[in-house]
Amino acid sequence: MPFSNSRPSVSLRGHPIHVLLAPVPAVCFVATFVTDIVYWRTAAMLWADFSSWLVVVGVIFAVVTAIAGLIDLLRDRGLREYRAAWIHGLGNTAVLVLSFFNALIHTRDAYTSVVPSGLILSGLVVLLLIVTGWNGWTLVYRHGVGVHAKEPT
Amino acid sequence: MKLPLFAAAATSLLITLVGCGPSPIDPKRQIGANPYLPPIHEYLLPPMHVAKVVDWNGATPTAAAGLKVQAFAKDLANPRSLYVLPNGDVLVVETGGPPGPVSRPKEIVMNLVEKMAHSRTKPGQRILLFRDTNGDGLPDQKFVFLDHLHSPFGVVLVGNDLYVANTDAVVRFPYTSGDTQITAPGVTLCELPGGPIDHHWTKSLTASPDGTQLYAGVGSNSNITENGIQAEIGRAAIWQIDRATGAHREFATGLRNPNGLQFEPQTHTLWAVINERDELGPDLVPDYLTSVRDGAFYGWPYSYYGQHVDPRVQPQRPDLVAKAIPPDYALSSHVAPLGMVFSTGTTMPEHYRGGAFIGEHGSWDRTVLNGYKIVYVPFADGRPSGVPEDVVTGFLIDGDKARGRPVGLAMDIQGGLLIADDTGNSVWRVSAASP
Repeated sequence: MPFSNSRPSVSLRGHPIHVLLAPVPAVCFVATFVTDIVYWRTAAMLWADFSSWLVVVGVIFAVVTAIAGLIDLLRDRGLREYRAAWIHGLGNTAVLVLSFFNALIHTRDAYTSVVPSGLILSGLVVLLLIVTGWNGWTLVYRHGVGVHAKEPT
Repeated sequence: MKLPLFAAAATSLLITLVGCGPSPIDPKRQIGANPYLPPIHEYLLPPMHVAKVVDWNGATPTAAAGLKVQAFAKDLANPRSLYVLPNGDVLVVETGGPPGPVSRPKEIVMNLVEKMAHSRTKPGQRILLFRDTNGDGLPDQKFVFLDHLHSPFGVVLVGNDLYVANTDAVVRFPYTSGDTQITAPGVTLCELPGGPIDHHWTKSLTASPDGTQLYAGVGSNSNITENGIQAEIGRAAIWQIDRATGAHREFATGLRNPNGLQFEPQTHTLWAVINERDELGPDLVPDYLTSVRDGAFYGWPYSYYGQHVDPRVQPQRPDLVAKAIPPDYALSSHVAPLGMVFSTGTTMPEHYRGGAFIGEHGSWDRTVLNGYKIVYVPFADGRPSGVPEDVVTGFLIDGDKARGRPVGLAMDIQGGLLIADDTGNSVWRVSAASP
C-alpha cells in the first residue's frame, strides 16, 4: 500500500506532533462527560468542578492539536485528498467549537453549569469524537499519514 | 478553501452568541416593595463590566443640593467600615478579605477582575482612630487604635466593651472613653464561620438597643451554592449573639450577604441591606433593604424575592421555599449595598432626617453600571416612605471610571454623614452646606 507522506507532518524529532497531542483533549472531553453524568446524578459540586477543569484543559490542548493538524492539512496535498481527513478535521473543529461553549456553560454556578446544556454538549462531543477518532485512525493506520516510511533500499 | 470559511462562520456565530443578552432595564422599575422581576437569563459569559479605577486627584464626590462634601481622611489602606464612639472619636476599619481558594478555572479569572475593581493599596488589618479637637467636624489627630486584626469589619461599643467582628470571630476589647489605643488582647465572645473559603467575609455587627444582644451578619460562602451546600452551614444569616454568654442562634436566614445592620431608632427593629445573587441577568436579583424579622427565612439559596425558585440550586427544598418571605424594599439589581445608617442627627437639612442612607458599592456584572453612590431612603413610622434619592454621587467619572466606591457609613457626633471609600482610600464627610 502506498504511504501518503509526500510531506512530513509537523514533528518533533521525527515524531508527529498532532498524533502526540490528540489523545489529551480526547481524554479530557470524554472524562468531562463522565464527571458531568456523575454530577447530574449526585449534585455533589466536586464533580462539576472536575468537569470545569477537564473541559478547559481539553479546549487548550485541542487548540494546539488543531493548529498542528491544520498545518499538516495545508502542507500535504495528498492528505487533502482523503475523505477521512476532511471528516476528521471538520468534525474536530466542531468538537472544539462545542467544547468552547461547553467551557463557558461550565463557568455558571452550581446545577445549571451542567444540567442540562453542559451535559448535552459533553455527550454530543463524545459522539463526534467517536466519528472523528475513527477517521483519524484511518488516516494513520490505513493511509500511514505521519508514519515514517522506511527509506527504500 | 472550505476550512477558513468554516472557521470564520464559527467565529462570528460565537461572537453573536456570547455577546447576546437582554439589555438592562431602568433601575427605577426595581425600587420599593414590588420590584419588576424579569425572566431569568443565564449567560454564556457574564458581562464583566468593571469600572476602571482612577485617582481622585484632589476632587471630591458630588453632594445633592443643600449638602457639602469634605475629605475627612485620605491615603488610607482600604477603609471599609466606620464606627463613631460616644465621645465623637471616629473609628475607621482598614480591612481586606482573605484570599479564597481556586476550585475552578473561573475563579482565576474572577480574582483578576476583582483586583481590577479595587484599589491597588494592600489592605490594612487594623482600626484607626480619628479625633476632632477643634469642633470643625474634621479630624486633627490620628491614632492606630487596634492593630493585627483578622479581616475586621463590624464594630460596636456596649458600655466599656468594644466588640470587633473579625471574619472568623466576634472579639471583645476593654475600652474607656478617651482611649486612643487598645493594647489589651481581645477575648473571643463567639466564633463565626470564616475560612478556608470565606466567600462573603465582611461580618457586620450591631447591638440591640438594650445592649444585651449582638447581631452579626454572616454572608453566604458562594454566589449560589457552587462551593457545596456543606460550606453554607451557619451562613447567609444574621446571628444573634448573647453578650453575656457568647451563645448564638440564627436570628434570620436566607439573607445572602447581609450588611449595614442597624436598629431603626423609632421602632427599635433590626434593618439590614442585602446583596442578592448574581448571574441571572442584568436585572436579577434586586439587592434590598429590609427589616429583619425574628425567625424569618428570606429565600437564599433556594428562592429569591419570596418564592421565585432559583434553578441553579439542587437538591431544592420546597419546604423552605414555602416559608420564604419577600423583603421590604428593593434597591435595584447589583448596586451592592454594603453600608447603611439611619439619619439620627439634627444638623442635616430637615429633608434628610429620620430615613436611611445607603452606600452602594456598585455593579460589576451589568453592561450599564448601577450603584456607585449614596442614596437616601425616607422613612415614616419606621418604614420606607418614598423613593431613594441620590445624596452623594461623582464616584464615577466619564461614565465608566471609578474614582471611589462607597462602603460603610456612619453618623458622626455632630450629625454629619461619614462615608468609607475603599477604592478611593478615603473617608468623606457630608454635612449641611450652610449651618
